[in-house]
Amino acid sequence: MISRCRWLSHLCLLFTVMAIMACHEESRSNALKIGLAEEPRTLNIWLASDANSRKVLSLIYQPLYIYDPDTLDLVPWLAESMPMFDEQNLTYTVRLRKAKWSDGTPFTSLDVAFTGRLIQSFKVPRYSSKWKFIKQIETPDLHTVVFHLKKPMASFLTGTLFTPMVQEKEWASVAEKAKTTEKPVAALLNHRVHHPVGTGPFTLEQWQRGAFLHLKKSSYFFGTGKTINGRILGPYVDDLVYTVFGTSDVAVLALKKGSIDMFWWPIQPGYLADLSRQADIRLFTNEKSALYFIGFNLRHAPFDDPALRRAVAYLIDKDFIVSRILQGQGTKMFSVVPAENRFWYASDLPRYGDGLSRENRLKTAYRLLSEAGYTWTVPPVDADGDIQPAKAIRLPTGQTMNRFTILTPPADYDPHRAISGLMIQEWLRDLGLPAYARPMAFSSLLQQVKGNHDFDAFILGYGRLRLDPGYVRNLFHSSNDKSRGWNMSGYHNPAFDRVADRSVTEMDPGKRQVLVKEMQKMIARDLPYIPLYKPSVVEAVRKDRFDGWVEMLEGIGNIWSMCQVKPVKHDGA
Amino acid sequence: MALRRFVLRRLVEIAVIFFVIMTVLFILFRLAPGDPVSRMVDPSMTPEDARLLMESMGLDQPLWTQYIYYLKNVVTGNMGVSFHYGEPVIGILMDRLPNTILLFTTSIILSALLGVFLGKIAAWRRGERIDTLMTIGALFCHTLFLPWLALIMIWFFGYRVGWFPITGMISPEVWIHPDAGFMAKALDVLYHMVLPLMTLVLIHFGSYLLVMRSSMLDTLKDDYIITARAKGLDEKTIRDHHAAPNAALPVVTSVGLSLAFSINGGALTETVFTWPGIGRELVFSVSHSDYPLAQAAFLLIAIVVLVANLVVDVLYAYLDPRIRY
Amino acid sequence: MGHPSSLSPTPKNTHSISAGKQRHHWVERFLDGWAVYRKNTIGRIGMALLGIFALMALASFVPQMVDPMYHPMTGVDPEISHSTGPSMRHWLGTDFIGRDIFSQLLAGARIAFMVGISSALISILFGTTIGMVAGYAGKGTDIWVIVLMIALFRWPGVARVIRSQTLSLKHRPFIEAARVAGASHGRIIFRHILPNVMPLALLYMTFRVTSAIIIEAALAFLGFGDPGSVSWGMMLQWVWKTGHMFQAPYWLLPPGICISLITMAFYMAGRAMDDVLDPRLRKEEIKP
Repeated sequence: MISRCRWLSHLCLLFTVMAIMACHEESRSNALKIGLAEEPRTLNIWLASDANSRKVLSLIYQPLYIYDPDTLDLVPWLAESMPMFDEQNLTYTVRLRKAKWSDGTPFTSLDVAFTGRLIQSFKVPRYSSKWKFIKQIETPDLHTVVFHLKKPMASFLTGTLFTPMVQEKEWASVAEKAKTTEKPVAALLNHRVHHPVGTGPFTLEQWQRGAFLHLKKSSYFFGTGKTINGRILGPYVDDLVYTVFGTSDVAVLALKKGSIDMFWWPIQPGYLADLSRQADIRLFTNEKSALYFIGFNLRHAPFDDPALRRAVAYLIDKDFIVSRILQGQGTKMFSVVPAENRFWYASDLPRYGDGLSRENRLKTAYRLLSEAGYTWTVPPVDADGDIQPAKAIRLPTGQTMNRFTILTPPADYDPHRAISGLMIQEWLRDLGLPAYARPMAFSSLLQQVKGNHDFDAFILGYGRLRLDPGYVRNLFHSSNDKSRGWNMSGYHNPAFDRVADRSVTEMDPGKRQVLVKEMQKMIARDLPYIPLYKPSVVEAVRKDRFDGWVEMLEGIGNIWSMCQVKPVKHDGA
Repeated sequence: MALRRFVLRRLVEIAVIFFVIMTVLFILFRLAPGDPVSRMVDPSMTPEDARLLMESMGLDQPLWTQYIYYLKNVVTGNMGVSFHYGEPVIGILMDRLPNTILLFTTSIILSALLGVFLGKIAAWRRGERIDTLMTIGALFCHTLFLPWLALIMIWFFGYRVGWFPITGMISPEVWIHPDAGFMAKALDVLYHMVLPLMTLVLIHFGSYLLVMRSSMLDTLKDDYIITARAKGLDEKTIRDHHAAPNAALPVVTSVGLSLAFSINGGALTETVFTWPGIGRELVFSVSHSDYPLAQAAFLLIAIVVLVANLVVDVLYAYLDPRIRY
Repeated sequence: MGHPSSLSPTPKNTHSISAGKQRHHWVERFLDGWAVYRKNTIGRIGMALLGIFALMALASFVPQMVDPMYHPMTGVDPEISHSTGPSMRHWLGTDFIGRDIFSQLLAGARIAFMVGISSALISILFGTTIGMVAGYAGKGTDIWVIVLMIALFRWPGVARVIRSQTLSLKHRPFIEAARVAGASHGRIIFRHILPNVMPLALLYMTFRVTSAIIIEAALAFLGFGDPGSVSWGMMLQWVWKTGHMFQAPYWLLPPGICISLITMAFYMAGRAMDDVLDPRLRKEEIKP
């Protein structure tokens, strides 16, 4: 009994000592502590499709070009200058910078050619489509690469040139070995990388699985001390330490407590009121390249009728969604291309019902549908032009409209989409449409919509749209209307297909822009998807620790920030 | 002799049950909507990419081929490669297992000690106010919803008063320090364990208290206690040296089973405290359709629980002589 | 799997054959038990709590009849677009989009009873589940699938305990005596063993109810719940996932407390019943 008591008291003492120790061990180091929402998947760049691995690997493996944070133009990165296009021979010539790999060996054109051939020969998923139109890669000298294209391909500039480069020395033997196996791609993707060799500002020091990942400043980074694109590059921090937080409210607590300096993950509107009151925390709000939309099944009634889709577009109050559901942290959308993607965005599209009151939206939609031949037992607008509860809408064929469902992800996966679904249901019912919103587990939803095409309408979103508008063709081209294909709506329009096909091979950005705008116009007219909104990215950092964050589309977590962020100098410290 | 035959029979049963569980798991995961590739909804990924990915995961094969491949894997003990991490599943699980064992073994032993200690007192003072209070208190603590309590604990001890780290198992500051020795690292882990331990003990000690209490009440009626009393031994000696050790036997059995179950019971705790163990991996693999990892994790749990059940059955045979096989 | 279904009608038959005496015996046993139960403070508290929760479950149909905005899943207050504290209009406040927390809490009680009792019944009468699997397979997530999953993974525990109790009963004198007297196996099982195992099965059922409720809450909390139903675990997940965890105590506390209280109520009722039925069974304790 007594001995146990003593043992307990010893334990208490130990904990007290440790607590005191922990209080004293206020980190004075120059390490930037970053919170992540999930463990990075892998250090193998070819497997890394998840956002969290990319947050680490994008600081190690570098592409030839990157985007300017303000203008989103191409900026030569591993390349020395802009690519030179020879229209006659269909070649692009790229001059390379004198950069070094993190093991000290020089980065050469051979590495670029190796990377390209590796992707081509293994058909590496996600990259192979950006390289398969390249016929040949020539290396006239160690710092020049010439790409020969099979046919004109617009995505060369926005896709191929953004491929992260890997070192021949590191990967040649891996590739050799993978080729001898039964499944070469799987062997390559599942190759375990312990020490990634890159050309970026940081290198891997240590990865304690499930706990933290430690990056150190690379002494061979080509940008250190240089001015690129008007910015003097560092990095000015010696260490980056990533810690994983299972849930974001705990990460927010850690940020408030000072255990981390930055949470690299968008913050839910629920936290914002509290965080903006904290003296030591700074919030950054940035736009996102995203598209959240309601899509329809054009393969059967009732949404095979464009008039009905247009009426629905009139009924949806995007201002309500943005101001109430997103709590103001977002913008409404009218095109499938986000407005921030300035070059490709078509600004002159119809804005169905924008700015109208509820009543006028309903009246306009009613008029549209009456003209299209829809009838009601009790119409939503009575003879005097007043609103009344509508009953039993009938299709132009005279049949009663069957009830239809709007599938949404569940509220826990994305509360915004789930609630938008509910609100849209209410608005449609005002017109007498038998709409039922149904939250559904995310994978079941994809199965229904993408796999089986068994649905009426659905709300989904793309959170990380590429800046290249190639996806507009993917989403609506009739050849993609198949199980698991991207054309989930089943939109078939030969005129759209023709324009879309031309836009793929159009090398002149100006001419391609015209085509892409033309495509957006057709979509806005036929409305297989009604674009709804696009949430903003809100991120939080400690302002008493680091400064110099670079804001960009998608937020402050980008290579420019990591090359420029500096510790805050405290007076007297 | 009979016991040996019983054990043999149970082992065969376990093998059959294991095979059934294995098959059911395979079917359940394949029936579940969605697949690992369809989750990747980046529209820049072409259908060809998707096909290549499916192929590299072996998901393009007909189901029965996949099933035979899976059986082969289980038999050879190589559970395949995780879709998500691209690494052998066994390695990942073995990496996480020690963390789970460390946290839960400690918590179960601590809760059992506390439960035995308090249960003894409650039984000794049966019917008094302290007994009622302890019983109700134990029931109340036991029924607290774990993640709810855990988050409140994190908020209070991790943030409000700030005594303990908010989550995780180690602090990077200590580990990346060049001259951090083993002691410093061990202390760091211990320091991170305090909050999850407190939560787990608070929730689990109640059941041990109740087991101990009722077992102690039974024991107190036994002849040898009456004999001890008759001998004029003082009450404390009887309580601590005669009654308690015998009464604690059911607690020991219960601890044994809990240890087996703890291997999966930690999903909630590990998720909330970001503790890198099996439970968190399990939740993650199920929600990411990582079939090989999820299957292997479930099989690991199944086998541990099946074996523990056998052990408990055998133990019962020893503890209750009325049971004959 | 035909075993449990062939088992259930048999006791009924025995009832009807020897009706008068048998019923008298059971009624008497029940009244005796009730008398003991009523003296038990813990049991009384448990019963009272269960009564309150049952009332809540019944009352859950009322709010949406008052006004559609009180519908726990789809009702949104037209004037409130963020989480607000308790008011006259919303007794426990609203969630992040203006749904009424009080009506969600009531709906949660309904789900808790449904999940708890049905999965407990199923885990005891496992055979009937096969039909349900066939009926519901391939329909995506649904509350019944969750119930089924819980039942599926919990029945072996019940079976194990019942089996060991039966094993231990088999060698007791009164069974030996019956066998010597020439009773058939069926008679021994249903007339002598079953009544002795039933209390344990009932006791275990109360424990299963609580663990089913907790498991459902845990699954919902982790995001594996049925998105179309409002349970307490689901409510906690909404608080958690929308970032209101440490900012909206009026939203965080009620579901957590309700989960604790309802499980506690079942435990208390179970413990009191266990005192009533057979003090020897007191050792069967709750599993962490």
